[in-house]
Amino acid sequence: MSGLRALVRLTLNGHPVEVSCPDERVLLDLVREELHLTGTKRGCDLGTCGCCTVLLDGRPTLSCLTLARLADGRSLTTIEGLSPGTGLSPVQRAFVEHGATQCGFCTPGFIVAATALLGEHPHPTREEVVRGLSGNLCRCTGYAKIIEAVLAAAEGR
Amino acid sequence: MHLDPFELHRPSSLEEALRLATAHAGGFDYLAGGTDLLPNYKMHLNLRPHLIALDAVAELRGRGLERLGAMERLADLERDTELARAYPGFADALAEVATPLVRASGTLGGNLLVETRCFFFNQSHFWRESLGYCLKAEGDRCHVVPQKERCYATFSGDLAPVLMALDAEAELAGPGGRRRVPLGAIYDAAGDGIRRHRLGPGEIVVAVHLPAAARARASAYLKLRVRPSFDFPELGAAAAAELDGGRVRSLAVAVGGLETYPRRFDELTAPLVGEHLSDDRLRAFSEAVMRAVRPVHNTFLAPDYRRKMTRVYVRRAVEKVRERSGAAA
Ligand SMILES: Cc1cc2nc3c(=O)[nH]c(=O)nc-3n(C[C@H](O)[C@H](O)[C@H](O)COP(=O)(O)OP(=O)(O)OC[C@H]3O[C@@H](n4cnc5c(N)ncnc54)[C@H](O)[C@@H]3O)c2cc1C
Ligand code: SF4
Ligand code: FES
Ligand code: FES
Repeated sequence: MSGLRALVRLTLNGHPVEVSCPDERVLLDLVREELHLTGTKRGCDLGTCGCCTVLLDGRPTLSCLTLARLADGRSLTTIEGLSPGTGLSPVQRAFVEHGATQCGFCTPGFIVAATALLGEHPHPTREEVVRGLSGNLCRCTGYAKIIEAVLAAAEGR
Repeated sequence: MHLDPFELHRPSSLEEALRLATAHAGGFDYLAGGTDLLPNYKMHLNLRPHLIALDAVAELRGRGLERLGAMERLADLERDTELARAYPGFADALAEVATPLVRASGTLGGNLLVETRCFFFNQSHFWRESLGYCLKAEGDRCHVVPQKERCYATFSGDLAPVLMALDAEAELAGPGGRRRVPLGAIYDAAGDGIRRHRLGPGEIVVAVHLPAAARARASAYLKLRVRPSFDFPELGAAAAAELDGGRVRSLAVAVGGLETYPRRFDELTAPLVGEHLSDDRLRAFSEAVMRAVRPVHNTFLAPDYRRKMTRVYVRRAVEKVRERSGAAA
């Protein structure tokens, strides 16, 4: 059996899009392969690394474990949609300024998850940042600079 | 990893979901948050041609102190401070399920029915094919206990033990009607281990109900895992009790992460009712729980270690309950 498709309509980074999508396609593949937004990364593809995090109606969501059709009618924000028209978002800027990125593969997932975290806790404690980002893995930085960057973004530094 | 093709259905009512289940009997899975089912599908574990998504079924939502809808997301339950105050052990367990990102999508119903786990099962298709499959998927033998025609995959949900200790009931709806059973009764303690629950064909977990008695109890949950985020339980110990100046009015202890189903130890707690919960009694009780459980070697940590830690975690969980009730040793 194959080939069942349906139309998926969503608001992608503020713009309406309509795309035909097979039933078994996950949001990550839709974003990367169909919508050609490759900022969202495929790490493990199994829910264990957080690289693929996007915002669905503002909620952090693992796009590798979400069927694209279930995003129909919802608002999807990817890493590309977080930057303002020009320049960087506060979290993005803090990551650059605090050296919180090395190879950069985990960075989009961290920035999306951190943006959601700060939306919910604008002034988090260090512990809240550590726990809140515990679903994102980084193999390079050792996390210290990432945590510093998120705390700095919260304080507007 | 692409998913193999399936047909996705998205009913908007319970009746429609049950109709679809009947129409595709034997060839479907329900899909809640997908955080357990989709990784398993990506590994080609027991694929079905139809998925029935439950996300648009309003009746499966809603939360309050008495009723928790099965489609409530773990992150939303975790944020609910009223729930955390009433059931601190449930809050302990919620905070330890997987990671915040998994909890943002994962649901209560999916957690109660999470697929059992084993070294030889949670592997890629290539890996399993190389070894020759096993009883739980495509094969005809068990690699863990080859002498037996049974599967010993481990029940790895974090929420069931504490909800069972709180006397929770599961509300079920199936093509044949509705029923309400003690939560522990949905697990198949006497089964072959391959099928992890005893829900009828097409039966859906609609909600979990908590009785007034649950709100009179203090509760706690402790989890042993390798990495303090991400990992499934190697052992989870839940306790709930109502203590009257140190004397036991009611006490329930349940564990998960050790056997094919979560298990409550009523025969061991019954003799403690009416007694003072002294350190000595507690030590003897924890020892008895340790002797009762039979983990096998199919998770990361050695079974002997998990048994020994059962004694420690059960004792600590009950001590925490004692502390939370403000009772002295
Ligand atoms: C990296 C990672 C780590 C994890 N760690 C843990 C952990 O530490 N502890 C833990 O408990 N879990 C863990 N999980 C498993 C899982 O994420 C959670 O158990 C989650 O709560 C499952 O809910 P879900 O809604 O995503 O379930 P789904 O994947 O949608 O469903 C799971 C199963 O339940 C069935 N089902 C779901 N809802 C219903 C219903 N209402 N009625 C009937 N059947 C239903 C489905 O058909 C499926 O078989 C982890 C998962 C990942 C990816
Ligand atoms: S316990 Fe045995 S039958 Fe069950 S999943 Fe593991 S190897 Fe397979
Ligand atoms: S790619 Fe989705 S969590 Fe790793
Ligand atoms: S910067 Fe390389 S994985 Fe995080």
